[in-house]
Amino acid sequence: MTANAKGQFTFPGGVHPPDSKTLTEDSPIQIAPVPKQVAIMLSQHIGAPCSPTVQKGDEVQAGQVVGNADAFVCAPVHSPVNGKVKEIALRSHVVLGRVQAVIIDVDLENNPPKKINPEKYTNGFDFDAISPLQIRDTVRNAGLVGMGGAGFPTRVKLEPNEQSPKKIMIVNACECEPYITCDYRMMLENPEQIIAGVKLAKKASESPRVIIAIEDNKPKAIQMMARKLRELHGTENIEIAAVKTKYPQGGERQLITSVLNQYVPTGGIPPMIGILVLNTATTAAIAEAVIADWPLTHRVVTISGEGVSNPGNYYCSIGTSIAEVLEFAGGTNSEAVRIISGGPMMGIAIADLDTPITKTSGAITVLTKQQIGKAKFANQQTPCIRCGRCLEICPEQLNPTKIAHAVKHELLDTAQTYFMTACIECGCCSYVCPANIELTGYIKTGKILLARQKKKMPQ
Amino acid sequence: MLENIAVSSSPHISKPLSTRTVMLDVIIALVPAMIAAVIFFRLYAVTILLTCIVTAVITELICNHIRKKPNSLGDLSAILTAILLALSLPPAIPLWAVIIGTAFAIAIGKMVFGGLGANVFNPAMVGRAFLTASFGMLMTTWTVPATINPEMPTITESVKSTDIRTQATPLAKSKEALKGKINASVANNLIKDAFTGQIGGCLGETSTIALLIGAAYLLIRKTITIHIPLAVLISAFIFAGVAYLINPDAYISPLTHLTTGGMLLCAFFIATDPVTAPLTTKGMWIFGIGVGAIVMLIRIIGEYPEGIMYAILLMNAVTPLIDRLCRVIPVGGIPNAKS
Repeated sequence: MTANAKGQFTFPGGVHPPDSKTLTEDSPIQIAPVPKQVAIMLSQHIGAPCSPTVQKGDEVQAGQVVGNADAFVCAPVHSPVNGKVKEIALRSHVVLGRVQAVIIDVDLENNPPKKINPEKYTNGFDFDAISPLQIRDTVRNAGLVGMGGAGFPTRVKLEPNEQSPKKIMIVNACECEPYITCDYRMMLENPEQIIAGVKLAKKASESPRVIIAIEDNKPKAIQMMARKLRELHGTENIEIAAVKTKYPQGGERQLITSVLNQYVPTGGIPPMIGILVLNTATTAAIAEAVIADWPLTHRVVTISGEGVSNPGNYYCSIGTSIAEVLEFAGGTNSEAVRIISGGPMMGIAIADLDTPITKTSGAITVLTKQQIGKAKFANQQTPCIRCGRCLEICPEQLNPTKIAHAVKHELLDTAQTYFMTACIECGCCSYVCPANIELTGYIKTGKILLARQKKKMPQ
Repeated sequence: MLENIAVSSSPHISKPLSTRTVMLDVIIALVPAMIAAVIFFRLYAVTILLTCIVTAVITELICNHIRKKPNSLGDLSAILTAILLALSLPPAIPLWAVIIGTAFAIAIGKMVFGGLGANVFNPAMVGRAFLTASFGMLMTTWTVPATINPEMPTITESVKSTDIRTQATPLAKSKEALKGKINASVANNLIKDAFTGQIGGCLGETSTIALLIGAAYLLIRKTITIHIPLAVLISAFIFAGVAYLINPDAYISPLTHLTTGGMLLCAFFIATDPVTAPLTTKGMWIFGIGVGAIVMLIRIIGEYPEGIMYAILLMNAVTPLIDRLCRVIPVGGIPNAKS
């Protein structure tokens, strides 16, 4: 079954944090109620931000484009609901700070909650009738971006490159981040949709082969996908690789090493070596865009953590505020001390509950003091004892302590001699540090400072 | 609802591991050696260990007070330094010398550099080197273990100067062999005694079995990696082996070298001190090979019978250089590399 996979299904370094997936792994995807208001961020992707295509007071329909731009590296944004544009205002974005958003007051009487409709993907869609270019254009118009976290426009990724044609496409179904189960539930509940999306992406990107990589702590998902691949037609060159359960197995550079035993050059990206990596949620969205003709307006969000009352997987409108999303899960309990957009390893702590969820929000995790740990919560950093644990586990084999200390002393050039910008910010170094030093935090800061420094320089 | 919410950089969880656990693991690993010390040197071992620990704690408290820094005793590094120093002292050393040595180790060996993590040299070895330089005679008086000398005072008795019976260590014998006074096999025959610890020597270095138990614990707990100990032992073994092959009458066997004179204590507990050893795996090998080679150069060619301490201190001094030369290369290779 894994004739193409040449790797050892593992990669250098990595850690084994408690996966805490039992909180939500058996809870079926629930359709979230329609929110009272949505805020559609005009920048939910890497690339040029969108300009609003609607004005204050406009009536909008569900699925209507509300923001777009002409740039190639861009993805339009759509309204998930019927309603009226209240205003174009700034909202907190998890990564970008304050970003323009289209705020839509929802017409609550005329808004049935959107369903997933798995049956659409089971009966006869003619995959031969659609051309690769048509698929790519549909993907662009549906506003698809990488839904695993980075948010790179999918259309750009799918574009064939004559210099380095795609040799293989990897579907990233690892979900190595603790707590998150949204992709896992999709694989169990809507495998047909994912496989349809995989077939479309394979065709659009002109990749001859596909490997779906799933961590071996998800045997049910592996069985389900394998069974569906046998049952469905047109899946000849699609196979499954059960990769080792280790964080960050779902990092695309690590996954390529695991599955293909190849290393993406430092500072390079997978297309340079003819590899396309797509997240499972993205492939499902491709199927929805092409087969169901519906843009990316909803996604499955895992709301989990010991700090929420009813953890679960919810199918939410993009643009719902985190406060409202948490209400679906019964709100936070009194122990909650940290709300994270994403999982505990790479997710970003939220201070503003009006922050809307975006296309890349796979999870909202609410942690208690017990999960964070007393010393870490109090931010008690002690001196580095040079134990070398961070070097041992770094999946990119960098020297985190040297980089972090260089950044601490504002020696960005020194930090670069230790390849600071090659850091993937997975958080393993901070996770293992016995001195509780925020190594990842320092490295992230250093990267931002370096980017600012470069901008100010002439040329 | 937001009043309890705090933000911080990711990741938001961490492995339940602290500097204190790391230090505590090493202290636990030294327990067999401490027990062996108490069995073989009775009252000497108990008083020296306690004096070292108390002096180290007081010195660290005073230093922190002077530097206006928070109390750092919680990381247990001062106690670990005290135990390592105690275990590398000869049993009959007077307590005033122990106090001076320990205070020097903590104050000059560690605190003047800025405390834990900033020291260049292993504090325990700094203290020992200071004592060797200042009171050479005291540092080379080796007491016969209690198992050979039943008259040695037990823990409850007080020490009388007449109770001290001294004996040359296997390594001291090796020096005599070098000069042709005796055959090296005399020292080699002591290897069985060295395994259990029935030889003269420093408190913690005599019992091979106790040290190996501790080393196994450290390796199983992954508190240390195997690189440095292996590099030290292999390089020492090769150097000693070459000398032994050339002239087995003058040079003692490599196994005798490895089991005596604190070689194991050095390889597993002192050279692996993370603060003063290199960060990278390649660097660790160079460091370990260097330690092993210097120890053997001192033992075989030099006048001094042991050499562990100087080997560690010399290699500590070049650790920053090793770190600079042995950089890790990212998995994706060096960016913009021409090849």
